[in-house]
Amino acid sequence: MELLSGLIDNYYYFVAIILFVIGMHTMLTHSNMIKKVIAMNIMDTSVFLLFVAIGYVHGGRPPIIAGNEEALYVNPLPGALILTGIVVAVSVTAYALSLIVKIHRTYGTVDCDEICKIRGDE
Amino acid sequence: MVLSEQLPALIVISPLICAFLSPLLYRRHARASAYLVLLSLLLSLVMAAALLIKVQRSGPLFYQMGSWPPPWGIEYVADPLRVYMLLVVVAVSLWIFLYAIQDLGHELREEVIGWYYTLYSLLVASMAAMTLTNDLFNLFVLMEICAITSCAIITIKEDRECLEAGFKYLILSAMGTGCFLLGVAMLYMVTGYLNFDFLQEELSTAVLNYPLNVFTAAALFIVAFGTKAALFPLHVWLPDAHASAPSPSSAMLSGLVIKIYAFTLFIIFYRVFPRSLLDSLPLSEIVLWLAAFGVMFGSIYAMLQTDLKKMLAYSSIGQIAFIFMGIGLDQRLALVGGLYHIAVHAITKAMLFMAAGTVIYATGVRKISDLAGIGRVMPLVMVAFTIGSASMIGIPGTGGLISKWYLALGALESGRSLFVLVILLSSLLNAIYYMPIVINSFMSQEDFGHEAREVPKVLQSALVIGMIFVALTGIFSRPLIQLIEAQITLLF
Amino acid sequence: MRITARLVAPFIQLYGIYVIVNGHLSPGGGFSGGAIFGSSLVLVAISFNLEAGAKQISHHTASLLESGGALGFTLTGLAAIFLGGNYLANQAAGFPLGQAGEFFSAGAIWIITIFIGIKVASTITTLFYNIIEKEQTVGVTKRTDR
Repeated sequence: MELLSGLIDNYYYFVAIILFVIGMHTMLTHSNMIKKVIAMNIMDTSVFLLFVAIGYVHGGRPPIIAGNEEALYVNPLPGALILTGIVVAVSVTAYALSLIVKIHRTYGTVDCDEICKIRGDE
Repeated sequence: MVLSEQLPALIVISPLICAFLSPLLYRRHARASAYLVLLSLLLSLVMAAALLIKVQRSGPLFYQMGSWPPPWGIEYVADPLRVYMLLVVVAVSLWIFLYAIQDLGHELREEVIGWYYTLYSLLVASMAAMTLTNDLFNLFVLMEICAITSCAIITIKEDRECLEAGFKYLILSAMGTGCFLLGVAMLYMVTGYLNFDFLQEELSTAVLNYPLNVFTAAALFIVAFGTKAALFPLHVWLPDAHASAPSPSSAMLSGLVIKIYAFTLFIIFYRVFPRSLLDSLPLSEIVLWLAAFGVMFGSIYAMLQTDLKKMLAYSSIGQIAFIFMGIGLDQRLALVGGLYHIAVHAITKAMLFMAAGTVIYATGVRKISDLAGIGRVMPLVMVAFTIGSASMIGIPGTGGLISKWYLALGALESGRSLFVLVILLSSLLNAIYYMPIVINSFMSQEDFGHEAREVPKVLQSALVIGMIFVALTGIFSRPLIQLIEAQITLLF
Repeated sequence: MRITARLVAPFIQLYGIYVIVNGHLSPGGGFSGGAIFGSSLVLVAISFNLEAGAKQISHHTASLLESGGALGFTLTGLAAIFLGGNYLANQAAGFPLGQAGEFFSAGAIWIITIFIGIKVASTITTLFYNIIEKEQTVGVTKRTDR
């Protein structure tokens, strides 16, 4: 029972891990290439969620100074790290999608199994 | 501004600036941008050599990016081991680029060669920074730059095989990065630090309070770096990717990119994880057994190949497993052998891929069975191939013997003689698939059936440089071995 | 759609510049502001035809700005080395820190943010042009018989 109450208290972390596993499984098993790229994004986003949830302080406000500086703020450091991470994930997605466009022009399909069949026939 | 203290940043900035200048210059004058890249790599090489002399004389150099002290800022550390790896990266990239200037016109379209120079410079900059960095999140960003650029130098060729191979590499690499980032999140949750030195202090107490987090992080790191460095079960992307890429890219990928991840795993095992974690968990055991299987399977698969570059790619899987075996044996001499093998294999495999690329450039032949009698037509190229094969097998006089010798000594000293048998068996298997090509090319009855173009002087000189390097690492190995050994002793 | 795009595009660009410029004062910064600015240029190219988009910012200019933005960022960091600190140093290199809340404050951050904004905007435009121009020259995709 304490496992269940622990899970419900920290539900951010729990959901992030579930999303990570969903993303990784879809990326490796589904054969449509666009699904793989979407799953890669889900996987990266789940880790960003985990990072930002680490910085949360109960009862804290967003870390922008406006007037009084003595309130309790949420830790902004993980958020700043994730900004960099998001840009990196966007770059990889942009490159993967342009690669899919080229593959579609060459093979005529974006399905991995069909491409394997075409490669096997030639 | 004291120049010698700013060297760690300047070595990384020099290819970075060149990467951004090169497209602007390529529109005007194509040759000038090639010379610009060459100049920036030469500058980095000179600075890396100066940095090595400085840290040998006065101890490790700690460089704070943005003048912010750690743990708030990103720190770069230059100690002799890391600068040795940096020197290998920059020197081999310069040498491969000499080869690439001539060979690229044959393999790529005119317009995209300028972009190739940009990607190449970015790849060198990211690998150079990866050897020096001391911060986990900076390592993540550099790993992603390395992944995108190394995948892009495969797919820039834009034919059927390399697009599919490049996409497979990108997806598996992204999976590795996702696992790595989750591991970083686990460690950050428990300690609040991202700097290696601070993490090592904190982790010795954090392992007792939150053991599961640290174990998960360790497992995720092994999966992440294993995928990116082609450790045994996670190597499936490597043969297609390295075989279908243009030849300078294959040389670069097989020679440097997979090594840098093995080196980073070594740094994380010994600089981030406390000694108590390595003693209590069988992390080194797992890496050792996977590496042993990788050595055997890489050689077995390589014997069955008919395409020259695919055979060299499978051979890479076997050889990188040697480096992991050195890390897995967790013993002083074995680590020296594994780390020396990084330099040896980088030089040798780059030379082998360059020889294969020259054969394809001159004749267009890729199948091994068509190579009968080519030694009489292109003697220099096949002599280079012979010397490279000798180093892979481990014949005395070449670098391959030194690293395998130290690995075997380390295995014997830690009482695991089974792995000596694995090393010997893999040398035998390497001979089985390298020697037929060499013998067939020089001493076959039939003559070479295809017509051969003239091999340009630049390609020939690149191969001669390679042969000299292989002989140097074999005969004059003492200085480097002493450097590595002194550094490894500090870790135990 | 065309009338709306024509009307709204300048406002989107103004909002993009606002987000870039307020990088060190409130949430925003170079990446998001550059994305907003870049998508306004792509909006004009989508809703009209390609020549109207090229009149705003041509393919050649976008490629130049892309390399220029990245070079600006790197050279700002290098300037910090020459001014005395380490690479990309802010206060230690002597960049003037003003009052918190003013625009010309926090040393080199606003310079870097503007360069990042230029680079991201031009990257989005260049990516769009690269994909669209290939479509027009190559034509319909080749289909293999199944």
